[in-house]
Amino acid sequence: MLTCDHYHMPTSLADALAMWHEAPDGARLVAGATDILPWAREGRAGDVHLPAMIDLSRVPELDGYAIENGRIRLGANIVYQQFLTDQTLRTLLPCMPYCSIWFADDQIREQATLAGNIVNASPAADGTPPILAMNGEIEIARLEAGDIVHRTVAVGEFVKGPGATDLQPGEIVTAVTCDTLEGYGGSFQKVGQRRSLVISSVCAVACVKLNEADATVADIRLALGGISPVPLRLSKLEQMLTGKRLTREMIKEAARLPADLVASRTRREYRRVVVRGFVEAAIEDALADCGAALPNAKTRETEHV
Amino acid sequence: MSDQTQSDLQLEFQINGRSMKRRARPHQRLLDFIRDDLALTGAKEGCGAGECGTCSVFVDGKLVKSCLMPVAKANGTKIETIEGLTGWGGDLTPVQKAFHKTGASQCGYCIPGMVMAATSALRENPKADIEEIKERLGGNICRCTGYTKIFEAVEMARDVLSGESNAAVLDADGPGKSYIGNNVRRLDAPSKVAGRLRYAGDMVMPGMLHMQVLRSPHAHALIKSIDTSEAENLPGVACVITADDVPGEDGFGVFVHDQPIMARGRVRYVGEAIAAVSADDVLTAARAVSLIKVEYEPVAAVFDAEEAMQNGAPVVHDYAPDNIVKHIPIRKGNVEQGFAEADLVVEQTYETQPVEHAYLEPEAGIAYVDHDDVVTVVSPSQNITHHRHMLAKIIDKPINKVRFIMSPVGGGFGGKEDMIYQGMLALSAMKTGAPVRLVYTREESIISTAKRHPARITYKMGLKQDGRITAVSFRMICDGGAYGLSTEGVMRKAAILSCGPYNVPNLEIDVYGVYTHNTPSGAFRTFGAMQSQFATESHMDICAEKLGLDPFEIRRVNMMRDGAVTHTRQELGSVSMGRVLDAAEKASRWEAGPAGMRGQQRTDLGGDDTRPPCTLGARFRKTGDDDRQEVA
Repeated sequence: MLTCDHYHMPTSLADALAMWHEAPDGARLVAGATDILPWAREGRAGDVHLPAMIDLSRVPELDGYAIENGRIRLGANIVYQQFLTDQTLRTLLPCMPYCSIWFADDQIREQATLAGNIVNASPAADGTPPILAMNGEIEIARLEAGDIVHRTVAVGEFVKGPGATDLQPGEIVTAVTCDTLEGYGGSFQKVGQRRSLVISSVCAVACVKLNEADATVADIRLALGGISPVPLRLSKLEQMLTGKRLTREMIKEAARLPADLVASRTRREYRRVVVRGFVEAAIEDALADCGAALPNAKTRETEHV
Repeated sequence: MSDQTQSDLQLEFQINGRSMKRRARPHQRLLDFIRDDLALTGAKEGCGAGECGTCSVFVDGKLVKSCLMPVAKANGTKIETIEGLTGWGGDLTPVQKAFHKTGASQCGYCIPGMVMAATSALRENPKADIEEIKERLGGNICRCTGYTKIFEAVEMARDVLSGESNAAVLDADGPGKSYIGNNVRRLDAPSKVAGRLRYAGDMVMPGMLHMQVLRSPHAHALIKSIDTSEAENLPGVACVITADDVPGEDGFGVFVHDQPIMARGRVRYVGEAIAAVSADDVLTAARAVSLIKVEYEPVAAVFDAEEAMQNGAPVVHDYAPDNIVKHIPIRKGNVEQGFAEADLVVEQTYETQPVEHAYLEPEAGIAYVDHDDVVTVVSPSQNITHHRHMLAKIIDKPINKVRFIMSPVGGGFGGKEDMIYQGMLALSAMKTGAPVRLVYTREESIISTAKRHPARITYKMGLKQDGRITAVSFRMICDGGAYGLSTEGVMRKAAILSCGPYNVPNLEIDVYGVYTHNTPSGAFRTFGAMQSQFATESHMDICAEKLGLDPFEIRRVNMMRDGAVTHTRQELGSVSMGRVLDAAEKASRWEAGPAGMRGQQRTDLGGDDTRPPCTLGARFRKTGDDDRQEVA
C-alpha cells in the first residue's frame, strides 16, 4: 500500500519547483498516478511510505500543446486519451492514435500522461519509441536563484536505462517536443500477454511519407521498444528504405535485419521472431495508412498457414 | 508511518449531484474514500492495480479507475458513482435494464463497473458499433459471463437510447407456455446492475475491527518462536491470534482435515497464514503485522510432485510418509494384450500448469459473536454447511453455537470451497467480542488460496491402422500442494473421465494426488477433467496425424454411442458425442483431411461465429478502410 505524510497539488510551475526543491528525501513527483499506485504493492515495491507526494496535474504551465516550425510542444499533462480524441494531434502525430489505443485502456488513458510514461523509463514503455521516432526532446525546468530555467535533452539521451533518466535533483519535466508528421502514415504494433492493460513484450512504431510523384519513400521513421534496456531507433533501416519504392519482398527482407538488436534478458528467441514480424507489419500498416495498396493484417493471416 | 506529521486533505466536491466538504487522509485513493468514508460500495475493489475495472467512476464526466486516483485529485470535481446513475430507489437506466434483460450479470461483482463502462461508452459515442463497444469496455474484466451477454446488453441499450428500438425490448419476455426455452430474467439482477448488492467486503458493523494476516515467506520451515508482544502493544490493536489460540481440534479440508487455521509449528507453503491481527483500521493492523517476530528454521522442501513420490523426499505431512494424498487406480480388460494387438503405439507426456480462479471478488468475511453467544461468520463460502461443522470442532463449540451466513459470492469457480480464513475471523471475534472483517488483497488471494492442480500425464495408446484404440495406459501425477483441500475428489473425477468419451477395451489408469510444498491445489471448474481431457484430446490429434487420419475421423471411430458402457461400468442410455462432433466440424468450417493437408489459403477464417483477430482502433478507422489497421 502507498502511504504518505503530505500530498501537495501546486497550481503554478514556480510553486511546484519550489516544493520539489524543498521536498524531503524520498518525496515523489506524481503525474497521473497510474503507475505509482500499482507499484507500491506486493510483488513490486511492497508497502511504501513517502514523506510527500507532489502532484503536477494542476500546474497550468504543463497543460495543452503548441505548434511551431514543424515541431509540437506537448505539455507534460497531456494524457494518452488526447491522442485519440484531439483531431489536431491525430493529424500531426499519425502514429500516436495507434500507440494510444494499445496503451492501457480508455479509463487509464484519461489519467496517464505521455511525459510520465517516458520519465518512468521502463524498457517496455509504449510512448517512448514513437517519440524517439519523431525526433523527440524532453523539456526540463528547474529553479536557479529563484528563476525558472529550462533545458532540453533528446529523448534518446534522456532515457538512460531501466528506470534511469537524465533528470537531476530539483528538476521537473515540463513538456515533450517532437516533429509534426502531417501526411505521414502511422502504425504501432504491440504484443503482450493480453490486449488491454498489458505491458509490451515488444512494440514497434512506423511513420512513412511517400513522394506523390513516384510513390517512393520520402521519409520513414522506425523504432522498437521492449527488446533492450532503452528503446531503439532503426536509423540504418530508415536510410536503407528511403528513396525506394517498397515491395512486400523488400519489406520482408529488410525486416530480417533488426532481430540482432534484441538484447532483452528474457525470451530472446521469441522476441527475435516477433521483431521480424513487427517491423514488417509496422511498415506495411504505415504504408496502408497513407494509402498504399498493401495487404493488411487480415490478408496476412490467410497467407501464412 | 508518522501519524503526527500527516496532514489531512480538505476536499470540496460534488458526488451524485450532492455538494460535500470532507476531510480525507493524504494517502487515500478515491476508491477508499467513496467506499469507506461515503459508504458508497457500488464501486468494488477487484485488484487495486487498475487491471479489472470493478472500481470505475466518473470524475468530471470522464470514466476513471478510482483505485488509481489519489483522492486529492478529486478535489473540486464532480464525481458520479453507480449509485448516482439512478438515485436511491430510482428507476434503472436503459443500460441497467438491458443488462437485466440479457442476463448480463452472473456473480455481479464486475457489473457495477461494467455498467459504468457501458454508460461511458454510449455517452462518448451514442452510435458506437460493436467493435468500438468492445474496445471501450476493454478495461473491465468479467470472469463469469464470457462478455457476450454484456455486449448484447450495450447494443440493446444503444438502440433504445437512440430511438432505433422501442423501449419495450427492455421489458421481460413472457414465459409463454413454458419457462424452458424462454429467456427469464434473473431475480437478483436489479440489485447487481444498480450496485446495491452488498458483498462481504462491502459490509460494515458498528465497532468493527479490521484484520490483517502475517504470511509465511518460506515454503517449508519450522516455526521456532512467534513473538507478538510488540504488535499487541501497538495502540489500536485489539488482538493477535496464532495457532495457540485454537481451543479445539485444529484441522480443515474438504476430504482430509490436514490444514490448521494458522500454521502450527511448521509452515508448508509460501503465503500460509501464521498470525492475524485485528485492529481499529487496516493500516494499524498492517503495521502490527510487521511488528510480529517469527523465528524460522528453513528445512528441505519439495516442489515437484514426482520427486515427492520418491523415497527419501521431504515429507509434507507425517500421516502420509509417501506424500500421497490419494491414488485412484482403474483397471479394465488386458492392457498387455491390447498393446500387442496394436499396429501403432504412441507414448507422450503432457503437462498442465497451476491456474488461479481469479474471481473478481477477492476473499472477504466478517465474523461476530451474537447476543446468544453464537459465533457467526459471514463470507462467500461455497460450502457453508461443511464449514460450520468443521469450525464447531475447531473452536470447540456445540454446532448450535456456530452459524455460517453465505454472502453473495463474487465468483467462486470452486476456489471458495475451502475454509481458508473463516477460522481466523471466528477466533478473533471470540477473543475481542467485536465484529472483525478481513478483506483480501488480490495478491493475497493469489498467493494463499487453492489453484487448479498442475498435472503431468504420461499417455500410452495402442491403435489399429484404421484408428481404433486397442489399449490405453494413463498415468497422471497431480501436484496437490501443501494441503489436501479437494484433491481426493479431483483425483477421482480425473480418473473417471480420463479417457474421454471414447471406447477403450483395455485400460489401466493411475491417478495420484501428491503433497508438495507448493500452493495447495483444490477445486476448480471441471474438477480434474480439464487436465485429463487436455491430454486425451491432444493425444487423439497426435495419433490421427501419425495414422494419416482426419482428427474428426479418429474420434468418430472411437466415440461412445448410445448404450455404451464407460470404463467405470456405467451404462449410458444416450450419448451425444456424434452430434457434438458434427456441430463442431460444421461450425469450425473444418477442411477435411489429415493434419498437414491444408492448402495455400485458409478457408476456415472469418465466419459469423468466429472471433476475428484482435482489432483495435474502431473509433478512428478510416472509412472504406475497414480492416486495414487490424493487428494480428
